[in-house]
Amino acid sequence: MARLVHEFLVSSSREHPHKAAVLHGDRSASYAEIDALSNRIARMLLNAGLTRGDRVLVVMENSIENVAAYYGVLKAGGVCVEIHDRSTPAEAGYYARNSGARICILSKAASRRLEGMELPIVISMETIQGSPGQRIIPWDDLGSVPDSAPDIQLDENDLAAIVYTSGSTGNPKGVVLTHANLCSNTRAIVSYLGLNDADRVMAVLPFYYVYGKTLLNTHFMAGGSVVVNNRFAFPNAVVKEMAEREVTGFAGVPSTFAILMNRSIFTKTPLPSLRYVTQAGGAMAPALTRRLIDHLGDVPLFVMYGATEASARLTYLPPERLVKDKLGSIGIPIPGVEVAVRDDAGNELADGEVGNICATGPNIMQGYWQDPEETAKALKPWGLVTGDLGHKDAEGFLFLTGRKKDMLKIGGERVSPKEIEDALIASGMVHEAAVVGRPDELLSEVPAAYVAPIDEGSFDLESLKAYVAERLAGHKHPRFWHVVKALPKKPSGKIDKEALKNELLHEVRVA
Amino acid sequence: MADVSAVVTQFIRENFIAGRSDVTIDPEVSLIESGIMDSTGVLELVEYLEATFDIKVEDEELVPENLETVNNIVTFLKTKGVA
Repeated sequence: MARLVHEFLVSSSREHPHKAAVLHGDRSASYAEIDALSNRIARMLLNAGLTRGDRVLVVMENSIENVAAYYGVLKAGGVCVEIHDRSTPAEAGYYARNSGARICILSKAASRRLEGMELPIVISMETIQGSPGQRIIPWDDLGSVPDSAPDIQLDENDLAAIVYTSGSTGNPKGVVLTHANLCSNTRAIVSYLGLNDADRVMAVLPFYYVYGKTLLNTHFMAGGSVVVNNRFAFPNAVVKEMAEREVTGFAGVPSTFAILMNRSIFTKTPLPSLRYVTQAGGAMAPALTRRLIDHLGDVPLFVMYGATEASARLTYLPPERLVKDKLGSIGIPIPGVEVAVRDDAGNELADGEVGNICATGPNIMQGYWQDPEETAKALKPWGLVTGDLGHKDAEGFLFLTGRKKDMLKIGGERVSPKEIEDALIASGMVHEAAVVGRPDELLSEVPAAYVAPIDEGSFDLESLKAYVAERLAGHKHPRFWHVVKALPKKPSGKIDKEALKNELLHEVRVA
Repeated sequence: MADVSAVVTQFIRENFIAGRSDVTIDPEVSLIESGIMDSTGVLELVEYLEATFDIKVEDEELVPENLETVNNIVTFLKTKGVA
Protein backbone atom coordinates (compact mmCIF):
# COMPACT_ATOMS: atom_id res chain seq x y z
CA MET A 1 0.00 0.00 0.00
CA ALA A 2 1.36 3.40 -0.97
CA ARG A 3 2.57 5.48 1.97
CA LEU A 4 3.87 8.30 -0.17
CA VAL A 5 1.90 10.16 -2.83
CA HIS A 6 4.41 9.54 -5.63
CA GLU A 7 4.26 5.80 -4.93
CA PHE A 8 0.89 5.85 -6.74
CA LEU A 9 2.82 6.77 -9.88
CA VAL A 10 5.70 4.39 -9.24
CA SER A 11 3.39 1.48 -8.56
CA SER A 12 1.24 2.07 -11.66
CA SER A 13 4.39 2.52 -13.73
CA ARG A 14 5.49 -0.91 -12.59
CA GLU A 15 2.13 -2.51 -13.33
CA HIS A 16 1.15 -0.66 -16.51
CA PRO A 17 4.34 0.93 -17.86
CA HIS A 18 3.06 1.53 -21.37
CA LYS A 19 -0.47 2.58 -20.52
CA ALA A 20 -1.42 6.19 -21.29
CA ALA A 21 -1.49 7.93 -17.92
CA VAL A 22 -2.16 11.46 -19.18
CA LEU A 23 -3.72 12.46 -22.49
CA HIS A 24 -3.55 16.12 -23.43
CA GLY A 25 -4.57 17.35 -26.88
CA ASP A 26 -2.56 15.42 -29.44
CA ARG A 27 0.01 14.29 -26.87
CA SER A 28 -0.02 11.51 -24.34
CA ALA A 29 2.44 10.12 -21.82
CA SER A 30 2.62 6.63 -20.40
CA TYR A 31 3.14 5.85 -16.74
CA ALA A 32 6.74 4.87 -17.48
CA GLU A 33 7.36 8.16 -19.30
CA ILE A 34 5.93 10.27 -16.48
CA ASP A 35 7.82 8.22 -13.92
CA ALA A 36 11.08 8.81 -15.82
CA LEU A 37 10.42 12.53 -16.38
CA SER A 38 9.53 13.04 -12.72
CA ASN A 39 12.78 11.28 -11.75
CA ARG A 40 14.72 13.73 -13.91
CA ILE A 41 12.90 16.67 -12.32
CA ALA A 42 13.61 15.30 -8.83
CA ARG A 43 17.29 14.97 -9.68
CA MET A 44 17.38 18.46 -11.17
CA LEU A 45 15.88 19.86 -7.96
CA LEU A 46 18.36 17.93 -5.82
CA ASN A 47 21.24 19.12 -8.00
CA ALA A 48 19.97 22.67 -7.50
CA GLY A 49 20.31 22.20 -3.75
CA LEU A 50 16.82 21.13 -2.68
CA THR A 51 16.75 19.37 0.66
CA ARG A 52 14.00 17.38 2.36
CA GLY A 53 11.11 19.65 3.35
CA ASP A 54 12.07 22.54 1.06
CA ARG A 55 9.13 24.20 -0.59
CA VAL A 56 8.94 24.42 -4.39
CA LEU A 57 6.58 26.88 -6.03
CA VAL A 58 4.91 25.37 -9.11
CA VAL A 59 3.03 27.64 -11.49
CA MET A 60 1.77 25.62 -14.42
CA GLU A 61 -1.51 24.93 -16.17
CA ASN A 62 -2.57 21.25 -16.29
CA SER A 63 -0.22 19.36 -18.60
CA ILE A 64 1.99 16.30 -18.82
CA GLU A 65 4.89 18.43 -17.61
CA ASN A 66 2.84 19.74 -14.68
CA VAL A 67 2.01 16.20 -13.59
CA ALA A 68 5.69 15.19 -13.81
CA ALA A 69 6.74 18.33 -11.91
CA TYR A 70 4.31 17.53 -9.08
CA TYR A 71 5.55 13.99 -8.60
CA GLY A 72 9.15 15.12 -9.21
CA VAL A 73 9.01 17.60 -6.34
CA LEU A 74 7.63 14.87 -4.06
CA LYS A 75 10.25 12.31 -5.14
CA ALA A 76 12.97 14.82 -4.27
CA GLY A 77 11.52 15.18 -0.78
CA GLY A 78 10.20 18.65 -1.54
CA VAL A 79 6.90 20.24 -0.58
CA CYS A 80 4.81 21.17 -3.59
CA VAL A 81 3.30 24.67 -3.47
CA GLU A 82 1.08 24.81 -6.53
CA ILE A 83 -0.72 28.05 -7.20
CA HIS A 84 -3.20 29.42 -9.72
CA ASP A 85 -1.48 29.40 -13.11
CA ARG A 86 -2.86 32.88 -13.81
CA SER A 87 -1.45 34.35 -10.59
CA THR A 88 -0.15 37.88 -10.91
CA PRO A 89 3.48 38.67 -10.01
CA ALA A 90 2.23 40.22 -6.75
CA GLU A 91 0.28 37.09 -5.79
CA ALA A 92 3.07 34.70 -6.77
CA GLY A 93 5.50 36.86 -4.79
CA TYR A 94 3.29 36.55 -1.72
CA TYR A 95 3.10 32.74 -2.01
CA ALA A 96 6.87 32.50 -2.52
CA ARG A 97 7.63 34.69 0.48
CA ASN A 98 5.04 33.09 2.72
CA SER A 99 6.06 29.52 1.91
CA GLY A 100 9.75 30.34 1.90
CA ALA A 101 10.18 28.67 -1.48
CA ARG A 102 13.61 29.20 -3.02
CA ILE A 103 12.92 27.31 -6.22
CA CYS A 104 10.03 27.59 -8.62
CA ILE A 105 8.98 25.69 -11.71
CA LEU A 106 7.19 27.73 -14.37
CA SER A 107 5.30 26.73 -17.51
CA LYS A 108 5.88 28.74 -20.67
CA ALA A 109 2.90 31.03 -20.05
CA ALA A 110 3.74 31.49 -16.36
CA SER A 111 7.38 32.24 -17.25
CA ARG A 112 6.27 35.11 -19.46
CA ARG A 113 3.87 36.42 -16.85
CA LEU A 114 6.17 36.09 -13.85
CA GLU A 115 9.55 36.92 -15.35
CA GLY A 116 11.56 38.87 -12.83
CA MET A 117 9.98 37.28 -9.76
CA GLU A 118 12.40 37.42 -6.83
CA LEU A 119 13.34 33.76 -6.37
CA PRO A 120 16.92 32.45 -6.36
CA ILE A 121 16.30 29.50 -8.71
CA VAL A 122 13.79 29.23 -11.54
CA ILE A 123 13.22 26.15 -13.68
CA SER A 124 11.53 27.56 -16.72
CA MET A 125 9.89 26.05 -19.79
CA GLU A 126 10.43 29.36 -21.61
CA THR A 127 13.69 31.15 -22.35
CA ILE A 128 13.78 34.04 -19.92
CA GLN A 129 16.45 36.44 -18.78
CA GLY A 130 15.77 36.38 -15.06
CA SER A 131 16.87 39.03 -12.63
CA PRO A 132 20.43 39.75 -11.48
CA GLY A 133 21.79 36.95 -9.29
CA GLN A 134 18.95 34.63 -10.21
CA ARG A 135 19.76 31.18 -11.59
CA ILE A 136 17.60 30.15 -14.52
CA ILE A 137 17.57 26.44 -15.33
CA PRO A 138 16.04 25.71 -18.75
CA TRP A 139 13.51 22.87 -18.75
CA ASP A 140 15.32 21.42 -21.76
CA ASP A 141 18.32 20.67 -19.52
CA LEU A 142 16.26 17.78 -18.13
CA GLY A 143 17.35 15.78 -21.18
CA SER A 144 20.86 15.47 -19.75
CA VAL A 145 19.72 14.40 -16.27
CA PRO A 146 19.55 10.64 -15.49
CA ASP A 147 16.01 9.24 -15.35
CA SER A 148 16.54 6.74 -12.55
CA ALA A 149 14.80 7.38 -9.24
CA PRO A 150 16.85 9.35 -6.70
CA ASP A 151 17.48 7.61 -3.41
CA ILE A 152 15.57 9.82 -1.00
CA GLN A 153 14.18 8.38 2.22
CA LEU A 154 10.86 9.83 3.31
CA ASP A 155 8.13 8.76 5.65
CA GLU A 156 4.42 9.31 5.51
CA ASN A 157 4.57 12.19 7.97
CA ASP A 158 6.79 14.21 5.66
CA LEU A 159 5.07 17.28 4.27
CA ALA A 160 3.87 16.86 0.69
CA ALA A 161 1.99 20.03 -0.13
CA ILE A 162 1.09 23.50 1.00
CA VAL A 163 -2.17 24.52 -0.64
CA TYR A 164 -3.18 28.14 -0.33
CA THR A 165 -6.75 28.95 0.52
CA SER A 166 -8.40 32.28 1.12
CA GLY A 167 -8.49 33.21 4.76
CA SER A 168 -11.10 35.27 6.55
CA THR A 169 -8.36 37.66 7.60
CA GLY A 170 -7.46 38.54 4.04
CA ASN A 171 -4.17 36.97 3.08
CA PRO A 172 -4.38 33.41 1.78
CA LYS A 173 -3.31 30.77 4.29
CA GLY A 174 -1.14 27.77 3.45
CA VAL A 175 -2.81 24.47 4.30
CA VAL A 176 -0.08 22.00 5.26
CA LEU A 177 -0.71 18.44 4.12
CA THR A 178 1.46 15.38 4.63
CA HIS A 179 1.85 12.35 2.41
CA ALA A 180 -0.32 10.47 4.92
CA ASN A 181 -3.08 13.09 4.63
CA LEU A 182 -3.16 12.89 0.84
CA CYS A 183 -2.74 9.11 0.60
CA SER A 184 -5.57 8.37 3.02
CA ASN A 185 -7.94 10.75 1.24
CA THR A 186 -7.00 9.34 -2.16
CA ARG A 187 -7.66 5.78 -0.97
CA ALA A 188 -11.05 6.74 0.45
CA ILE A 189 -12.14 8.42 -2.78
CA VAL A 190 -10.97 5.48 -4.93
CA SER A 191 -12.94 3.21 -2.64
CA TYR A 192 -16.31 4.97 -2.70
CA LEU A 193 -16.14 5.82 -6.41
CA GLY A 194 -15.04 2.24 -7.15
CA LEU A 195 -12.26 3.43 -9.46
CA ASN A 196 -10.13 0.88 -11.30
CA ASP A 197 -7.58 0.75 -14.11
CA ALA A 198 -10.32 0.91 -16.75
CA ASP A 199 -11.32 4.38 -15.57
CA ARG A 200 -10.52 7.44 -17.63
CA VAL A 201 -11.50 10.82 -16.25
CA MET A 202 -11.93 14.11 -18.08
CA ALA A 203 -10.08 16.72 -16.01
CA VAL A 204 -11.20 20.30 -16.65
CA LEU A 205 -10.49 21.35 -13.07
CA PRO A 206 -7.01 22.74 -12.38
CA PHE A 207 -4.61 20.48 -10.51
CA TYR A 208 -3.51 23.29 -8.18
CA TYR A 209 -7.02 23.05 -6.72
CA VAL A 210 -7.47 20.13 -4.30
CA TYR A 211 -10.54 18.77 -6.10
CA GLY A 212 -8.60 18.79 -9.39
CA LYS A 213 -5.62 17.15 -7.72
CA THR A 214 -7.79 14.30 -6.42
CA LEU A 215 -8.63 13.42 -10.03
CA LEU A 216 -4.93 12.99 -10.74
CA ASN A 217 -3.98 11.08 -7.60
CA THR A 218 -7.01 8.78 -7.56
CA HIS A 219 -6.53 7.75 -11.17
CA PHE A 220 -2.80 7.26 -10.69
CA MET A 221 -3.55 5.08 -7.67
CA ALA A 222 -6.10 3.05 -9.65
CA GLY A 223 -3.87 2.83 -12.72
CA GLY A 224 -6.45 4.65 -14.85
CA SER A 225 -5.99 7.56 -17.24
CA VAL A 226 -6.47 11.31 -16.97
CA VAL A 227 -7.60 13.34 -19.97
CA VAL A 228 -6.50 16.96 -19.59
CA ASN A 229 -8.54 19.67 -21.26
CA ASN A 230 -7.83 23.24 -20.16
CA ARG A 231 -10.32 24.75 -22.57
CA PHE A 232 -13.63 24.55 -20.78
CA ALA A 233 -14.14 28.05 -22.18
CA PHE A 234 -15.37 26.02 -25.14
CA PRO A 235 -17.52 23.43 -23.40
CA ASN A 236 -18.55 21.79 -26.66
CA ALA A 237 -14.95 20.91 -27.44
CA VAL A 238 -14.75 19.27 -23.99
CA VAL A 239 -17.98 17.33 -24.54
CA LYS A 240 -16.75 16.15 -27.94
CA GLU A 241 -13.48 15.00 -26.43
CA MET A 242 -15.37 13.17 -23.67
CA ALA A 243 -17.17 11.23 -26.40
CA GLU A 244 -14.06 10.64 -28.55
CA ARG A 245 -11.89 9.53 -25.64
CA GLU A 246 -14.69 7.41 -24.19
CA VAL A 247 -14.16 8.88 -20.73
CA THR A 248 -15.72 7.01 -17.83
CA GLY A 249 -15.75 9.87 -15.34
CA PHE A 250 -16.35 13.59 -15.15
CA ALA A 251 -15.91 16.04 -12.27
CA GLY A 252 -17.16 19.58 -11.96
CA VAL A 253 -18.10 22.44 -9.67
CA PRO A 254 -21.57 24.01 -9.85
CA SER A 255 -20.59 26.49 -12.56
CA THR A 256 -19.22 23.64 -14.70
CA PHE A 257 -22.62 21.97 -14.68
CA ALA A 258 -24.50 25.24 -15.16
CA ILE A 259 -22.51 25.81 -18.35
CA LEU A 260 -22.81 22.19 -19.50
CA MET A 261 -26.55 22.03 -18.95
CA ASN A 262 -27.41 25.53 -20.17
CA ARG A 263 -24.96 26.39 -22.93
CA SER A 264 -23.47 23.31 -24.48
CA ILE A 265 -24.20 20.21 -26.53
CA PHE A 266 -23.82 18.06 -23.38
CA THR A 267 -27.50 17.13 -23.22
CA LYS A 268 -27.56 16.22 -26.91
CA THR A 269 -24.37 14.17 -26.96
CA PRO A 270 -24.47 10.44 -26.18
CA LEU A 271 -21.69 9.45 -23.78
CA PRO A 272 -22.12 5.67 -23.53
CA SER A 273 -18.82 5.14 -21.70
CA LEU A 274 -19.63 7.57 -18.89
CA ARG A 275 -19.84 5.57 -15.65
CA TYR A 276 -20.11 8.29 -13.01
CA VAL A 277 -20.08 12.06 -12.46
CA THR A 278 -18.93 13.93 -9.34
CA GLN A 279 -19.83 17.40 -8.13
CA ALA A 280 -18.16 19.34 -5.33
CA GLY A 281 -16.84 22.86 -4.81
CA GLY A 282 -19.94 24.36 -3.22
CA ALA A 283 -23.64 23.78 -3.05
CA MET A 284 -25.34 23.44 -6.41
CA ALA A 285 -28.86 24.79 -6.82
CA PRO A 286 -31.23 21.85 -6.21
CA ALA A 287 -33.07 22.62 -9.46
CA LEU A 288 -29.85 22.24 -11.45
CA THR A 289 -28.95 19.05 -9.57
CA ARG A 290 -32.38 17.66 -10.40
CA ARG A 291 -31.99 18.49 -14.09
CA LEU A 292 -28.54 16.93 -14.14
CA ILE A 293 -29.79 13.73 -12.48
CA ASP A 294 -32.66 13.52 -14.94
CA HIS A 295 -30.30 13.95 -17.85
CA LEU A 296 -27.72 11.45 -16.56
CA GLY A 297 -30.34 8.74 -16.10
CA ASP A 298 -28.54 5.56 -15.01
CA VAL A 299 -25.17 7.31 -14.64
CA PRO A 300 -24.71 8.02 -10.91
CA LEU A 301 -23.99 11.54 -9.68
CA PHE A 302 -21.82 11.73 -6.56
CA VAL A 303 -22.42 14.99 -4.68
CA MET A 304 -19.44 15.57 -2.42
CA TYR A 305 -18.29 18.01 0.23
CA GLY A 306 -14.89 18.85 1.59
CA ALA A 307 -12.30 21.45 2.34
CA THR A 308 -8.71 22.15 1.42
CA GLU A 309 -7.99 21.61 5.13
CA ALA A 310 -9.26 18.03 4.71
CA SER A 311 -6.95 17.24 1.77
CA ALA A 312 -10.12 17.61 -0.28
CA ARG A 313 -12.88 15.28 0.69
CA LEU A 314 -14.99 14.86 3.85
CA THR A 315 -18.36 13.51 2.76
CA TYR A 316 -20.17 12.07 -0.23
CA LEU A 317 -23.81 11.40 -0.92
CA PRO A 318 -24.45 7.88 -2.18
CA PRO A 319 -26.07 8.48 -5.58
CA GLU A 320 -29.03 6.19 -4.91
CA ARG A 321 -29.98 8.29 -1.87
CA LEU A 322 -29.58 11.51 -3.86
CA VAL A 323 -32.16 10.21 -6.29
CA LYS A 324 -34.40 8.60 -3.68
CA ASP A 325 -34.73 11.04 -0.81
CA LYS A 326 -31.66 13.12 0.08
CA LEU A 327 -31.46 15.88 -2.53
CA GLY A 328 -29.86 18.86 -0.77
CA SER A 329 -27.74 16.74 1.59
CA ILE A 330 -23.94 16.59 1.43
CA GLY A 331 -24.17 12.97 2.50
CA ILE A 332 -22.21 10.86 4.93
CA PRO A 333 -18.54 10.83 5.93
CA ILE A 334 -16.10 9.14 3.56
CA PRO A 335 -14.37 5.98 4.83
CA GLY A 336 -12.04 6.67 7.77
CA VAL A 337 -13.43 10.14 8.52
CA GLU A 338 -15.84 11.22 11.23
CA VAL A 339 -17.99 14.30 10.85
CA ALA A 340 -19.98 15.75 13.73
CA VAL A 341 -22.15 18.81 14.30
CA ARG A 342 -20.92 20.66 17.39
CA ASP A 343 -21.50 23.85 19.33
CA ASP A 344 -18.72 26.41 19.84
CA ALA A 345 -17.50 24.55 22.96
CA GLY A 346 -17.16 21.32 21.00
CA ASN A 347 -20.22 19.54 22.36
CA GLU A 348 -21.90 17.30 19.83
CA LEU A 349 -25.41 18.46 19.03
CA ALA A 350 -28.54 16.37 18.66
CA ASP A 351 -29.97 15.42 15.27
CA GLY A 352 -31.59 18.40 13.61
CA GLU A 353 -29.74 21.01 15.63
CA VAL A 354 -27.65 23.47 13.61
CA GLY A 355 -24.01 23.87 14.59
CA ASN A 356 -20.42 23.78 13.38
CA ILE A 357 -19.50 21.03 10.93
CA CYS A 358 -16.36 19.46 12.46
CA ALA A 359 -14.27 16.56 11.24
CA THR A 360 -11.57 14.17 12.38
CA GLY A 361 -9.60 11.71 10.33
CA PRO A 362 -6.25 10.92 8.73
CA ASN A 363 -6.91 13.48 5.98
CA ILE A 364 -7.06 16.54 8.25
CA MET A 365 -4.27 19.10 7.71
CA GLN A 366 -1.36 19.63 10.08
CA GLY A 367 -2.24 23.33 10.32
CA TYR A 368 -1.74 26.57 8.43
CA TRP A 369 1.84 27.25 7.40
CA GLN A 370 3.58 29.32 10.06
CA ASP A 371 0.29 30.64 11.37
CA PRO A 372 -0.36 29.22 14.87
CA GLU A 373 -3.13 31.71 15.54
CA GLU A 374 -5.26 30.68 12.56
CA THR A 375 -4.35 27.03 13.13
CA ALA A 376 -5.65 27.22 16.70
CA LYS A 377 -8.95 28.62 15.42
CA ALA A 378 -9.40 25.80 12.89
CA LEU A 379 -7.94 22.78 14.71
CA LYS A 380 -9.68 22.17 18.01
CA PRO A 381 -9.31 19.15 20.31
CA TRP A 382 -12.53 17.88 18.73
CA GLY A 383 -11.25 18.21 15.18
CA LEU A 384 -11.24 20.52 12.21
CA VAL A 385 -13.79 23.29 12.43
CA THR A 386 -14.74 23.72 8.79
CA GLY A 387 -16.44 27.09 9.16
CA ASP A 388 -19.60 25.64 7.66
CA LEU A 389 -22.83 25.40 9.58
CA GLY A 390 -25.21 22.50 9.25
CA HIS A 391 -27.16 19.69 10.83
CA LYS A 392 -27.52 15.94 10.71
CA ASP A 393 -30.75 14.07 10.14
CA ALA A 394 -31.79 10.93 12.02
CA GLU A 395 -29.98 8.71 9.51
CA GLY A 396 -26.73 10.64 9.87
CA PHE A 397 -26.98 12.52 6.56
CA LEU A 398 -25.50 16.00 6.74
CA PHE A 399 -27.07 19.19 5.46
CA LEU A 400 -25.33 22.56 5.12
CA THR A 401 -27.17 25.67 6.17
CA GLY A 402 -24.53 28.35 5.67
CA ARG A 403 -21.04 29.58 6.32
CA LYS A 404 -19.85 31.12 9.51
CA LYS A 405 -17.08 33.01 7.80
CA ASP A 406 -17.54 35.92 5.47
CA MET A 407 -16.30 34.19 2.33
CA LEU A 408 -17.30 34.29 -1.30
CA LYS A 409 -17.60 31.15 -3.38
CA ILE A 410 -16.82 32.17 -6.93
CA GLY A 411 -17.17 29.22 -9.24
CA GLY A 412 -15.39 26.54 -7.23
CA GLU A 413 -12.98 28.96 -5.61
CA ARG A 414 -13.23 30.33 -2.12
CA VAL A 415 -12.25 33.99 -2.06
CA SER A 416 -11.93 36.29 0.90
CA PRO A 417 -13.68 39.63 0.37
CA LYS A 418 -11.04 41.07 2.68
CA GLU A 419 -8.29 40.24 0.20
CA ILE A 420 -10.09 42.27 -2.48
CA GLU A 421 -10.98 45.06 -0.05
CA ASP A 422 -7.34 45.27 1.03
CA ALA A 423 -6.27 45.70 -2.58
CA LEU A 424 -8.88 48.43 -3.11
CA ILE A 425 -7.75 50.35 -0.04
CA ALA A 426 -4.07 49.87 -0.91
CA SER A 427 -4.72 51.81 -4.13
CA GLY A 428 -4.88 55.00 -2.09
CA MET A 429 -7.87 56.05 -4.19
CA VAL A 430 -10.66 55.07 -1.79
CA HIS A 431 -11.05 55.48 1.92
CA GLU A 432 -13.59 52.73 2.39
CA ALA A 433 -14.30 49.58 0.45
CA ALA A 434 -16.60 46.63 0.91
CA VAL A 435 -16.89 43.56 -1.27
CA VAL A 436 -19.94 41.35 -1.18
CA GLY A 437 -21.15 38.44 -3.29
CA ARG A 438 -23.70 39.19 -5.98
CA PRO A 439 -25.76 36.12 -6.90
CA ASP A 440 -24.76 34.77 -10.30
CA GLU A 441 -26.42 32.02 -12.26
CA LEU A 442 -23.17 30.47 -13.48
CA LEU A 443 -20.65 31.13 -10.73
CA SER A 444 -22.96 31.03 -7.68
CA GLU A 445 -21.70 34.50 -6.84
CA VAL A 446 -19.35 37.14 -8.19
CA PRO A 447 -17.62 39.97 -6.32
CA ALA A 448 -19.37 43.34 -6.23
CA ALA A 449 -17.36 46.26 -4.88
CA TYR A 450 -18.64 49.32 -3.02
CA VAL A 451 -16.05 52.07 -2.81
CA ALA A 452 -16.03 55.54 -1.33
CA PRO A 453 -13.41 57.73 -3.09
CA ILE A 454 -11.00 59.83 -1.08
CA ASP A 455 -11.38 62.66 -3.56
CA GLU A 456 -14.57 62.43 -5.60
CA GLY A 457 -13.38 65.09 -8.01
CA SER A 458 -10.23 63.31 -9.14
CA PHE A 459 -11.48 59.74 -8.67
CA ASP A 460 -11.14 57.60 -11.78
CA LEU A 461 -12.83 54.18 -11.57
CA GLU A 462 -10.87 52.85 -14.53
CA SER A 463 -7.61 53.53 -12.72
CA LEU A 464 -8.89 51.66 -9.68
CA LYS A 465 -9.94 48.71 -11.84
CA ALA A 466 -6.50 48.66 -13.44
CA TYR A 467 -4.83 48.78 -10.03
CA VAL A 468 -6.80 45.76 -8.82
CA ALA A 469 -6.32 43.90 -12.09
CA GLU A 470 -2.57 44.11 -11.74
CA ARG A 471 -2.63 42.64 -8.24
CA LEU A 472 -5.33 39.99 -8.16
CA ALA A 473 -6.09 37.02 -10.39
CA GLY A 474 -9.07 37.46 -12.72
CA HIS A 475 -11.69 35.62 -10.69
CA LYS A 476 -11.13 38.07 -7.82
CA HIS A 477 -11.79 41.18 -9.93
CA PRO A 478 -15.07 42.81 -8.94
CA ARG A 479 -17.65 42.38 -11.71
CA PHE A 480 -19.93 45.10 -10.38
CA TRP A 481 -18.87 48.48 -9.07
CA HIS A 482 -20.74 50.95 -6.93
CA VAL A 483 -19.10 54.31 -6.24
CA VAL A 484 -20.70 55.84 -3.16
CA LYS A 485 -20.06 58.75 -0.83
CA ALA A 486 -19.99 56.52 2.22
CA LEU A 487 -20.76 52.92 3.12
CA PRO A 488 -23.67 52.02 5.40
CA LYS A 489 -22.57 51.32 8.99
CA LYS A 490 -23.85 49.32 11.91
CA PRO A 491 -24.17 51.02 15.31
CA SER A 492 -20.76 49.54 16.15
CA GLY A 493 -19.28 51.49 13.25
CA LYS A 494 -18.61 48.35 11.23
CA ILE A 495 -19.62 48.34 7.59
CA ASP A 496 -23.12 46.92 7.26
CA LYS A 497 -22.54 44.23 4.65
CA GLU A 498 -26.04 42.83 5.13
CA ALA A 499 -27.46 46.14 3.89
CA LEU A 500 -25.22 45.98 0.84
CA LYS A 501 -26.20 42.38 0.15
CA ASN A 502 -29.87 43.29 0.38
CA GLU A 503 -29.31 46.17 -2.03
CA LEU A 504 -27.66 43.79 -4.45
CA LEU A 505 -30.46 41.25 -4.15
CA HIS A 506 -32.94 44.01 -4.95
CA GLU A 507 -30.82 44.97 -7.98
CA VAL A 508 -30.75 41.37 -9.20
CA ARG A 509 -34.52 41.02 -8.76
CA VAL A 510 -35.38 44.15 -10.72
CA ALA A 511 -32.73 43.52 -13.40
CA MET B 1 -15.70 44.80 -40.70
CA ALA B 2 -13.13 47.09 -39.11
CA ASP B 3 -15.89 48.67 -37.04
CA VAL B 4 -17.14 45.32 -35.79
CA SER B 5 -13.61 44.38 -34.86
CA ALA B 6 -13.20 47.64 -32.94
CA VAL B 7 -16.49 47.14 -31.09
CA VAL B 8 -15.58 43.59 -30.09
CA THR B 9 -12.08 44.62 -29.04
CA GLN B 10 -13.45 47.46 -26.96
CA PHE B 11 -15.86 45.13 -25.16
CA ILE B 12 -13.05 42.70 -24.37
CA ARG B 13 -10.76 45.49 -23.24
CA GLU B 14 -13.35 47.02 -20.93
CA ASN B 15 -14.63 43.79 -19.46
CA PHE B 16 -11.71 41.42 -19.26
CA ILE B 17 -8.52 43.40 -18.97
CA ALA B 18 -9.82 46.44 -17.13
CA GLY B 19 -7.27 48.88 -18.40
CA ARG B 20 -4.24 46.70 -17.66
CA SER B 21 -1.33 48.23 -19.48
CA ASP B 22 0.61 44.95 -19.71
CA VAL B 23 -2.01 43.17 -21.81
CA THR B 24 -2.54 43.80 -25.49
CA ILE B 25 -5.20 42.29 -27.70
CA ASP B 26 -3.74 40.80 -30.86
CA PRO B 27 -6.61 39.95 -33.24
CA GLU B 28 -4.80 36.78 -34.29
CA VAL B 29 -3.95 35.49 -30.82
CA SER B 30 -6.16 33.19 -28.72
CA LEU B 31 -8.08 35.11 -26.07
CA ILE B 32 -8.08 31.96 -23.95
CA GLU B 33 -4.42 30.98 -24.20
CA SER B 34 -3.37 34.57 -23.52
CA GLY B 35 -5.38 34.50 -20.31
CA ILE B 36 -7.75 37.31 -21.31
CA MET B 37 -10.96 35.25 -21.22
CA ASP B 38 -12.06 32.17 -19.29
CA SER B 39 -15.13 29.98 -19.57
CA THR B 40 -17.52 32.51 -18.10
CA GLY B 41 -15.83 35.26 -20.11
CA VAL B 42 -16.74 33.46 -23.31
CA LEU B 43 -20.36 33.28 -22.21
CA GLU B 44 -20.38 36.95 -21.26
CA LEU B 45 -18.98 37.76 -24.68
CA VAL B 46 -21.66 35.66 -26.35
CA GLU B 47 -24.40 37.42 -24.41
CA TYR B 48 -22.92 40.74 -25.48
CA LEU B 49 -22.72 39.71 -29.14
CA GLU B 50 -26.33 38.48 -29.07
CA ALA B 51 -27.58 41.72 -27.54
CA THR B 52 -25.43 44.11 -29.56
CA PHE B 53 -25.80 42.56 -32.98
CA ASP B 54 -29.27 41.10 -32.47
CA ILE B 55 -28.21 37.56 -33.31
CA LYS B 56 -28.71 34.16 -31.71
CA VAL B 57 -25.60 32.11 -31.02
CA GLU B 58 -26.53 28.43 -30.95
CA ASP B 59 -24.87 26.10 -28.42
CA GLU B 60 -23.29 24.23 -31.34
CA GLU B 61 -21.61 27.48 -32.40
CA LEU B 62 -19.72 27.91 -29.11
CA VAL B 63 -16.53 26.53 -30.61
CA PRO B 64 -12.97 27.86 -30.90
CA GLU B 65 -13.32 28.35 -34.66
CA ASN B 66 -15.94 31.03 -33.95
CA LEU B 67 -14.71 32.62 -30.74
CA GLU B 68 -11.04 31.93 -30.11
CA THR B 69 -9.62 35.21 -31.46
CA VAL B 70 -10.97 38.63 -32.36
CA ASN B 71 -10.58 37.77 -36.05
CA ASN B 72 -12.47 34.50 -35.56
CA ILE B 73 -15.27 36.42 -33.84
CA VAL B 74 -15.46 38.97 -36.66
CA THR B 75 -15.57 36.22 -39.31
CA PHE B 76 -18.24 34.39 -37.31
CA LEU B 77 -20.33 37.56 -37.03
CA LYS B 78 -20.08 37.94 -40.78
CA THR B 79 -21.63 34.49 -41.27
CA LYS B 80 -24.43 35.72 -39.02
CA GLY B 81 -25.07 38.63 -41.34
CA VAL B 82 -23.25 41.25 -39.31
CA ALA B 83 -21.22 43.35 -41.72
